Amino acid sequence: MARARSFCMGRVLSPARPDAGCAPRASAIVRPVRLLLLLPLLLAAAVSCAPGIADAPVVNGRRYFGSLNPPRGQLFRFNLGAEPELRDPGVMSGQPDGRFARMVFEGLTVSDPRTLEPRPGQAYRWERSADGLVYTFHLRPGLRWADGTPISSRDFLWSWLRVLSPVTASRNASLLFSIRGAEDFHRGRLADSTQVGLAAPDDSTFVVTLGHPTAYFLTLTTFYTCMPVPRLVVERHGIRWTRRENLVGNGPFRWSYWRQGDRYEFEPSESYWDRASVKLERVVAYPLDDLNTSTNLYKSGAIDWNPSGYIPSQYLAYMKPYADYRTGRYQGTYFYGVNTTRPPLDDVRVRRALNLAIDREAIAHDLLKGSRDPWGRITPSGYPGYLGPTPVSYDPERARRYLAQAGYPGGRGFRKISILFNTSEDHRRIAEAIQAMWKRELAIDVELSNQEWGSYLQATTSLNYDVARRAWIGDYLDPNTFLQLLTTGDGNNRSGWSNARYDALIRRAAETLDASRRFAMLAEAESLALDQAPYLPVYHYSTTELVKPWVRGIHQTALDIHPLTRVWIDHDWRQHEPIAGEAAR
Amino acid sequence: MTTFVLRRVLLMVPTLLVIATLTFVLMRLAPGGPFMSEKDIPAKAKQELLSRYGLDRPLHVQYLAFLANAVKLEFGPSYKYPDRQVKEIIAQGFVVSAELGGWALLLALLVGVPVGTLAAIRQNRALDHVSMTLALAGVSVPSFVLAPVLVIGFSLTLLVLPAALWTGPESRVLPVLALCVSYVAYIARLTRAGMLEVLRQDYIRTARAKGLAERVVVAKHALKLGILPVVSYLGPAAARIIMGSIVIEQIFAIPGLGRYLVVGAVNRDYTLVMGVVLFYASFLLLLNLLVDLAYGWLDPRVELA
Repeated sequence: MARARSFCMGRVLSPARPDAGCAPRASAIVRPVRLLLLLPLLLAAAVSCAPGIADAPVVNGRRYFGSLNPPRGQLFRFNLGAEPELRDPGVMSGQPDGRFARMVFEGLTVSDPRTLEPRPGQAYRWERSADGLVYTFHLRPGLRWADGTPISSRDFLWSWLRVLSPVTASRNASLLFSIRGAEDFHRGRLADSTQVGLAAPDDSTFVVTLGHPTAYFLTLTTFYTCMPVPRLVVERHGIRWTRRENLVGNGPFRWSYWRQGDRYEFEPSESYWDRASVKLERVVAYPLDDLNTSTNLYKSGAIDWNPSGYIPSQYLAYMKPYADYRTGRYQGTYFYGVNTTRPPLDDVRVRRALNLAIDREAIAHDLLKGSRDPWGRITPSGYPGYLGPTPVSYDPERARRYLAQAGYPGGRGFRKISILFNTSEDHRRIAEAIQAMWKRELAIDVELSNQEWGSYLQATTSLNYDVARRAWIGDYLDPNTFLQLLTTGDGNNRSGWSNARYDALIRRAAETLDASRRFAMLAEAESLALDQAPYLPVYHYSTTELVKPWVRGIHQTALDIHPLTRVWIDHDWRQHEPIAGEAAR
Repeated sequence: MTTFVLRRVLLMVPTLLVIATLTFVLMRLAPGGPFMSEKDIPAKAKQELLSRYGLDRPLHVQYLAFLANAVKLEFGPSYKYPDRQVKEIIAQGFVVSAELGGWALLLALLVGVPVGTLAAIRQNRALDHVSMTLALAGVSVPSFVLAPVLVIGFSLTLLVLPAALWTGPESRVLPVLALCVSYVAYIARLTRAGMLEVLRQDYIRTARAKGLAERVVVAKHALKLGILPVVSYLGPAAARIIMGSIVIEQIFAIPGLGRYLVVGAVNRDYTLVMGVVLFYASFLLLLNLLVDLAYGWLDPRVELA
């Protein structure tokens, strides 16, 4: 789902989107233009005597970034981030697509708006067998699709098998591989779908049998990948079933209006089992992929929520004083991937030297003005019970020793290496900083190689680079979603690094039910990866969002997932103290 | 006349063929493909997608199939938005781009031509200097600079106009303004130059000599030929302003066609790029044809043959 791909949605640090490549990014908030300096001055003069300027953005002593005119009624407007590519929850991947799915569809469980823990959704209760292998879900009675057709456990069975079928080409099929026989079925080694550990013994019972205990299985059921799709509609319309005139969902909202590249509108679905809890009367989502435009619209009051990542990074440092700005830890890390198949980077001592010569504090605090946390690990923070290994720290002295041991004392004889990054001002600045650090500490020459998105992807997947800027956003709240990357042959490894002991640790951990033992194995694996340094961690991502004070029910979460089912507009917000936790930064 | 049009239309065929071929080759030469992403797509799924869209066939087969379909105006579905046909995307985007560009071009003509004409009549006087200096400034300020300044002023400070989005009439004001300024300026300069040239010609002297009012001389006799440079500029300008307002569409979140060319190229959405490029090329060729026809109508000395 979200993962690093969502960054390419024109988000803060890797706008891999067209807006990055194409148009000169025009920043409407601050960008001095010499020729036109006079015009803003004139406007400023006009402002001082102009009537009709919105309320002063200070309420109860709190200063707000955006103007404070709430929408009428229960209308909620936000930036969807981009035009969703696929509106089929079983196939999609990516943040805008996921936002759409969570409004129009609902899985067995839904995410808690604060903690993201699984809560009853289409299933009102479930049991897990003592060995952790069998999950039995009980569907609510009377569930219906938006067109009135009843929903049964067979809909889930059919939808999950559809995700696993190779013909579907689901982007996230691998998330279901912990189910017995699922991977074999997906890879075509198992033709009989009844051998997959999924069953619908009666209309309201759905039984999932796993191949091995999976600690995070239940959280997977909150994902859009596991949402049911209407079989009849899919079969009737084929790939075009996701068009507005065809699409039928089972979620809290009904997709009521669409204009390409302009807006999505939603209204409450009357057939939703918890209709009474849906207070919003209308939701308008704009697919805005330009960060400046999105932030301008928030500031001028045209949208109520500017989700995480849609504030231009150069403004982040100045956002802190505002009451409507929220930031927190985001489950993602930014790192440099090393191509371990290329000399001299195939030498672990060289990789250690590069790793130890990165001054993460300087990058996070000085360069990024504190908008990100320096980070010396591959996994991010925030997994209860997982402490992880000792982070890598800046130690130029040891770095030089390692480089000398590798045969390049004082950087002598070291060939020029290049840092690859996709087009983005932030990636460039970080690459320049690291280039300078390696030059200063190790006396090695580094060149920068900037490529547009498609070329960058091609270069990293085909291992045609020396060192490349990378990032990863977790799929689920477990360190495995990061550590899996470095296993041999994983499509996202992209470093050529392969270590049998590491693979064994990850595999054994996956089959261990006891949490502390499992985490100990994962920490050992991560420690090994940090020592071998195929990835050089740089910083920890943060969520950075703007939410109007009248919006209730949107909370900062580690995965940047926000169920909108129970969101509402508080028109008496001025009288209310900020609801605890919501406005806390 | 009919032969002229027919010949020109026939000449478009090889031009479009060359453009289609170049686009095809360039798209395929670009590294990567439509089904790459920062998160790996499972090999099996990728294979399925490639065969679904025929991308696993030999390149020359794909090329011929593409040409055959292009003749029928069928580009197939977009790879990125598979439930939409490329022609739907183009149709929906073009309506919006055409409206934005149309207003901007209209405004540019309505302001540019009179200003240029007045400047020519008052050559080397205050009005001429002031308007031409402004025009120089207008040509020099790119729309991506002007647009944010307008947004700061009217949307974020005065709060009188929307900062972006394509909703009511008020949402048209800033993007049209930002888009048309450089065209106003250029058209004014072209008109002035054209008029200066025409006003020196014999037939104008004749018109004046037979006692026509200066107003009639300028409006009825001179203007018709004086704006010929503007007319010839209008073809490419219309194509550019309607198709090429990518920057303005981006800044103001306008659901036009421009972005799809860029989105398509970045995502290696082959069908989308081919469709948009060919559409743009045909549009440009068609406008040029119209310009030539207008020439013949405005200037009797031009022979269309």
